[in-house]
Amino acid sequence: MNAHNPPATGKPVADRKLNETTKMAQENTLLSPRFYTTDFDELDRMDVSSVREEWDELIASMRSDPNKGHFKRNEEWDDITIDDVPVELRTELVDFLVSSLTAEFSGCVLYKEMKRRGTNEDIKELFSYMSRDEARHAGFINDSLRDFGIGVNLGFLTKTKKYTYFKPKFIFYATYLSEKIGYARYITIFRHFERHPDKRFHPIFKWFEQWCNDEFSHGEAFSLLMRSNPKLLQGRNKLWIKFFLCAVYATMFVRDHARPEFHKAAGLDIEEYDMRVFEITNECTRQCFPLMLDLEHPAFLPTMRRINELAIAIDQANQKGGVFNRIKKVGLQLAVASKFLRLYTLPTKKNDIPAISRMVPAW
Amino acid sequence: MLNKLLGTQKQEDVDCTVTIVNTFESLEAHVRFNDGTTVNPGDEVVVHGRPIEVPYGETQSFERRATVKRAGAVERLWTRATGDFEFMELCEFSFSQGALRPGALAEEYTS
Repeated sequence: MNAHNPPATGKPVADRKLNETTKMAQENTLLSPRFYTTDFDELDRMDVSSVREEWDELIASMRSDPNKGHFKRNEEWDDITIDDVPVELRTELVDFLVSSLTAEFSGCVLYKEMKRRGTNEDIKELFSYMSRDEARHAGFINDSLRDFGIGVNLGFLTKTKKYTYFKPKFIFYATYLSEKIGYARYITIFRHFERHPDKRFHPIFKWFEQWCNDEFSHGEAFSLLMRSNPKLLQGRNKLWIKFFLCAVYATMFVRDHARPEFHKAAGLDIEEYDMRVFEITNECTRQCFPLMLDLEHPAFLPTMRRINELAIAIDQANQKGGVFNRIKKVGLQLAVASKFLRLYTLPTKKNDIPAISRMVPAW
Repeated sequence: MLNKLLGTQKQEDVDCTVTIVNTFESLEAHVRFNDGTTVNPGDEVVVHGRPIEVPYGETQSFERRATVKRAGAVERLWTRATGDFEFMELCEFSFSQGALRPGALAEEYTS
């Protein structure tokens, strides 16, 4: 969902000599978020009265905005320009920042839309705070990109935008997981750099602790929403939950492996890091999901590895082009589908949902 | 496209307000239809006029005309059935073509 304009050669900022003293946007990052709509009537019918006490506590905490003022540059921020970043790391660092920005921006637009079109006051208040947080994160990342001479291009606003559709329950599963896995990723990176400050190649990582606490509390809200409507966590919906877990975990595994330089510079072993993130996410999701993927199953990691190898092969076929590679790609896609099915059919661990949803970000 | 084939596309022209916040504190962009028009699955929206740019540090609103191209019944059903699978974009590691090959999407946008 991220791209740079004008089209570059694969290293958007690698060979540019930027003036270190100016923060002029010399390159544009074309934001291309998706636009969503949902069943707003169904969303309005959500009733949180069965979790009212926990809900009010969480909303009060979000209303007090504990992280207001956190996202400021202070003496902890080391000035950095693109010239300070090793050449081989630049593309991946920028990709990381742009992907994060796009995710925050899309979250902001989606949440704002839900706030605007809803009539249920509980829902509206929740989404207004979540939209606020995501916009704040996006602003902070945007500022970091400006250090590198990269500005956001809002050209998408005057292009034709097609509105896609999310069922409310899928919004809950997907955003719940994306918030919790986001927390797990950011806190794992933050803790890693606490232990290895010499590896911290960008100052933004120092802000990850509070940042991921926002993600964590957003996840808490979705957990309460799902728990207030227990049908979403039972019966056939368990199959959907499993599907979302498999899809999100596998995607993360593949995408992280596509950023070798980023992880090498950080001193992170990608596989170890990803497994740690899955462990934390699994622990977080015990508050509402009736099942967890079995990370220790002997076929789990080998299946993930195979999906990643196939994804790389598809990417290579894409790049080479031509009739032969197109046919090859179809075969590879079928192979990915079959491996994904294998992942999906691995036995899961049962989870008894606890009486209280609330969790503390203790990782 | 499906709409064109089925000849079911209806269009509405409406006034809208585009609000952009491009500051350190916040980065957001929102389009609001002034008459309360709502968008449904599969609809397409285009805001007319020059590309919108807001300098860093500023918040601005723009009054523009927009066209809402309504999806036909088939297109709407199709979007409802398949839209959910685009959810991955909400993750920071969003699985997007061209994420590491920056030209790809830019080309898509300029074509």
